Amino acid sequence: MDLGLQGKGAIVTGGSLGIGSAVALELAKEGCNVAVNYRRHDTEAKQVVAEIEKLGGKGLAVKADVSSYDDAQKMVQDVVDRFGRLDIMVCNAGITWDGVIWKMSEKQWDQVIAVNLKGYFNYNKAAALVFKDQKYGKIVNISSINGMRGKFGQSNYAASKGGEIAMSKSLARELGRFNVNVNVVAPGMVLTDMMAAIPPEFQNKAMAETVVGRFATPEDCAHLVAFLCSDLSRHITGDVIKIDGGQYI
Amino acid sequence: MFSWFGKVSFVPYSKVSDFAVHLKDGRLMGSRCKKCGYQTIPPRADCPQCMSGEFEFVEHSGKGTLYTWTRIDAAPTGFDDEVPYTLAVVDMEGSGRLVGWFGETITQEQIKIGMPVQIVPQIFDEDEDIKVYYSVEQPGTTWGKAPAPHLG
Amino acid sequence: MSRVGVIGIGHGKFGRRSDATVQELAFEAFRFAMEDAGIDRKELGATVIAAVPEYHKQRSVAGVVQEYLNLNPLPTWLTEVACASGSAAIRTAWMAIKSGLHPVVAVIGCQKMTELSTPEILALMGRVGEVQWESVFGTTFPGYYAMFATRHMHEFGTTREQLLQVAIKNHHYGAKNPNALFQKEITLEKALASDPVASPFCVYDCCANADGAAVLILAEESRAKQLRKDGKIVWLDGVGCATASMSVLRRPNLVGLPSAQEASQQAYRMAEVKPKQIKVAEVHDCFTIAELMAYEDLGFCEKGQGGKFIEEKRAYIGGDVAVNVDGGLKSKGHPIGATGVSMAHEIVKQLRGESGERQVPEADVGLTHNVGGIGQYTFVHVFRRD
Repeated sequence: MDLGLQGKGAIVTGGSLGIGSAVALELAKEGCNVAVNYRRHDTEAKQVVAEIEKLGGKGLAVKADVSSYDDAQKMVQDVVDRFGRLDIMVCNAGITWDGVIWKMSEKQWDQVIAVNLKGYFNYNKAAALVFKDQKYGKIVNISSINGMRGKFGQSNYAASKGGEIAMSKSLARELGRFNVNVNVVAPGMVLTDMMAAIPPEFQNKAMAETVVGRFATPEDCAHLVAFLCSDLSRHITGDVIKIDGGQYI
Repeated sequence: MFSWFGKVSFVPYSKVSDFAVHLKDGRLMGSRCKKCGYQTIPPRADCPQCMSGEFEFVEHSGKGTLYTWTRIDAAPTGFDDEVPYTLAVVDMEGSGRLVGWFGETITQEQIKIGMPVQIVPQIFDEDEDIKVYYSVEQPGTTWGKAPAPHLG
Repeated sequence: MSRVGVIGIGHGKFGRRSDATVQELAFEAFRFAMEDAGIDRKELGATVIAAVPEYHKQRSVAGVVQEYLNLNPLPTWLTEVACASGSAAIRTAWMAIKSGLHPVVAVIGCQKMTELSTPEILALMGRVGEVQWESVFGTTFPGYYAMFATRHMHEFGTTREQLLQVAIKNHHYGAKNPNALFQKEITLEKALASDPVASPFCVYDCCANADGAAVLILAEESRAKQLRKDGKIVWLDGVGCATASMSVLRRPNLVGLPSAQEASQQAYRMAEVKPKQIKVAEVHDCFTIAELMAYEDLGFCEKGQGGKFIEEKRAYIGGDVAVNVDGGLKSKGHPIGATGVSMAHEIVKQLRGESGERQVPEADVGLTHNVGGIGQYTFVHVFRRD
């Protein structure tokens, strides 16, 4: 299948590591110019840009806190200026800060909501302004199966991931007439650095949940995202596609 | 889906229904008779010249000249929230005439019979249902057109 | 070929008639007409009824009127061409008489408008253009004529003041007509200050919706002479009719009505008269510009000179031709099915010399000009008194 992404402009938030960097490289392989933003990992972000450029596309890394509304609007404008166009917005930057509710501080709640949920709003809105005018766009918001069910000690994360799903559905309705698709990819356990923070017994529990006996690789997620960024999936919108090896059926 | 066309639609079906679909994608369409070549806008399925029913859509540049206009202050049912609005009758390049609304780029003071204008496809973006129309703007106004999809 | 003559006329009060149904309004005018003609109901061969059905809750208005007037089992049917329905009914009666099928026909124009609200009426009337490409933008009936006015002002320098002179004249005469909706004179200052409707029109440029009825009784020549003992018969000697596109998108220009030009030429030819022989006329002043364009379309003045014509008072009694000296649609109100018959009523009265303080001296040839919609249909009738 030719995804037809040659020359398109893309932004991937949280693109220095894990799923984000895999998505950025996959899109670059398909011919896109890709901009990533990152919070702390300068070296890794620069590495991603180098690899994008090796694949023949333009690359850009922007250090930004995704929970800043103004930074998001500015980054989108910068990318449009630099690449000449923006067609794809993949929101992926996210954090966890687990805890049972009776011990959860206000900051713990606010921070996760701000980065995960508000962050996606900031970038979705900035992209929507561009996509609506040009009557073309693909938005993919990376959520989680833990936004579709409630895990112990994750009320803040679940709220943010669940919120991303409902928000995406609303946006699909608003933007459909402008030829813009908005979809959610909901992974289960993925082999990334974020996984390192999870204790072994929980990792085992998760493995037992899968029916295929393995976890997703970041590349598995990137393939799905790339498909959703192409016109081949033009009739899929407002949808949530799990990529969890059967963890949550 | 001709019912998409206009603030209030009175015509749900027409042989030229796809006019509204093209308008949604940012393309203003006239028609051309496949048999004798008669072209006009708005599009029509049946040729007044040779009576053929075979037609095709042809994209129109949207360029025209203002023939006459009026500002409506007393609104009919369904348009109460739009009033006052200004209607234009525009002689289109080639053949045909359209009735439309003046858009943001032309103020009341700038309206002059005979002025060149640009018809721009529009979507009522705050309506839950898909509703399309076109506005009358200054020449040179640009707008987005949905590209043809890349289907592998 | 024998002529067609008017032997009876009747007119009810126009206005907001929430006191009566459409058939009760019809009866009022019918009673006057029968008294005026001095004939028995059994003389009638058929009726033709003019009303625009969409404004009534009653379905099939013609049937209910025929019943209420106690005219069953006489033939009847409705004619409808928007605001020209009344004249269409007169033309139909003329044709029925000329064919020999019905020597005596009553034409009943009757209409209720006020069963609907003003925005509903605006929406309904706005759909008299092309619904597919125009009404979707909220066109209104005043809006269409306003576009004509805007263009006329651009091409000929016609001014708002000249347009309003039409309304001032018609109110001047309507004030003396006890059947009119508005019986008050108006001033230019008051008119210019009234609420905007559709530029350049304000409220005073526009006629008002009204309820009402008017009746004409026509007969074939020899029958007319038998029935009308006093000899005061007014002859309908010229009938003309033409149509134009529904859509303003397909008119050659928007400064005149081609259907009116064509219809009047037919009527003049048939009646063998020239425009300057017309002494008194009833024209379709649904909006001030409509009367102004009528002066031009009917040949009372050159194209573009309508503004000067009214300004110089040439449409008043004593001018070239007395126009709308019963108040016109502007002062009488416009019950759309009845208007055409009301126009004929006034012309017949004038030609009989019965118009009292509004009498045009030596009126011997008169004309009615009745337009449907924005000139989709025009009917012009020329009447003569021997």
